[in-house]
Amino acid sequence: MTSQVYSVMKEKQKRYEALVHAFHGDIYRYAYWLTRDGSIAEDIAQETFLRAWRSLDSLKDEKSAKSWLITIVRRENARRFERKQLDLVDIDDVQVTDDAFHAKQEGDHEELRILIARLPVDYREPLLLQLIFGYSGEEIAQQLELNKNTVMTRLFRARNQLKDMLEQDASSERGRTNG
Amino acid sequence: MRQVKEVVLMDDLEFRRRVFANPGTTDKDVKDAINRDSDKARLKASLQALDHQLCQAIKVPVPEDLAHKLIWQQTTEEFNKHKRKSRWFIAMAASVAFVAGITGTMIYQYEPENIGTDALVHMRYAEMEIPPSAEDLDIQQINAKLAGFGGAFSAPIGDVTVANYCHLNTIRSLHLILNTEQGKMSVFVIPHKDNMDMPTSFADDKYHGESWSTEKANIMVVGEKNANLEPMMEKVKSTIIFST
Repeated sequence: MTSQVYSVMKEKQKRYEALVHAFHGDIYRYAYWLTRDGSIAEDIAQETFLRAWRSLDSLKDEKSAKSWLITIVRRENARRFERKQLDLVDIDDVQVTDDAFHAKQEGDHEELRILIARLPVDYREPLLLQLIFGYSGEEIAQQLELNKNTVMTRLFRARNQLKDMLEQDASSERGRTNG
Repeated sequence: MRQVKEVVLMDDLEFRRRVFANPGTTDKDVKDAINRDSDKARLKASLQALDHQLCQAIKVPVPEDLAHKLIWQQTTEEFNKHKRKSRWFIAMAASVAFVAGITGTMIYQYEPENIGTDALVHMRYAEMEIPPSAEDLDIQQINAKLAGFGGAFSAPIGDVTVANYCHLNTIRSLHLILNTEQGKMSVFVIPHKDNMDMPTSFADDKYHGESWSTEKANIMVVGEKNANLEPMMEKVKSTIIFST
């Protein structure tokens, strides 16, 4: 009996580790782009996987596990805002964020990262689901509980804004070099 | 005629809407539009290039030890569960020795089948029981243990420092130890069993307890001699729910 329990536990442990290895990177990045903060993203990832461990028996296949993990990340992120309700500042309005972001990110992708972070979360989130998890419009709609047209419009606006911002940056860069 | 109709269907705006929303789209009407119009083809290609860059940019470095931490935290959680159990076994062993001691040396005043006696014995050792962590247990942790008896608390009942299974009169029961304004108190949840002698109130020189019966289990609240058990009993009665 004990060895049976033990092997069930071992099996569960194995499934959990497989889940961690398959998704921890994407889940961390998703949390990172929702919160735009590495250490908060790490906290959310930890909480998310701890919950996954506790509910592992109900996570049947990989696809539903992915969607389940995303739901938990979103809930944890929302909870963070509930907790801070009183001293909440809409981060989209704080220009300082850009500088902090700027200082932290190195490399070729720096500029794009700042621009992605600047997107309103309503546009950023469907874009992340599409780019990180390879979700279709249909799947994003399901995950975010929106209708598909709304999702497609938001995806359109996300890229449209990114393109605009890139062009603006390019022209101001030219202005600086020329002037 | 057919061509005109297609052009109407896939106007510039619609084309932009579709490829901006999904630059990788392989929809036939988008493909057709590209084949007919090199500007559209260029736009789609530039958006695909942007997506490629976005995918790279989104891949922020993941902390190297994250996977390890995630696996470790779960192992720790399991370990703590076991540790809590094994601590309880030490207390149980002490408890057994204690019972053996008093039966051997004193006149045993209580009926051996009286479960209240067992509870009082447990109370003495409740004080020795070290809480597994400085933090109080939250309601989820308690409910997880209570779930084995088909029960749950609908709201927190106080500062629960220990929640463990124990055997009262060979019946596997749940023992909660709480810090209250009136000192340490215990709540026992004991599933029904035939021939169980469940006194409604019981006491010794140090503790006293009260019990009542619900559909699924007997519940006992035990506190120090002068403690008023009423508030705790009320709290438990109003929050404990058993599934039918």
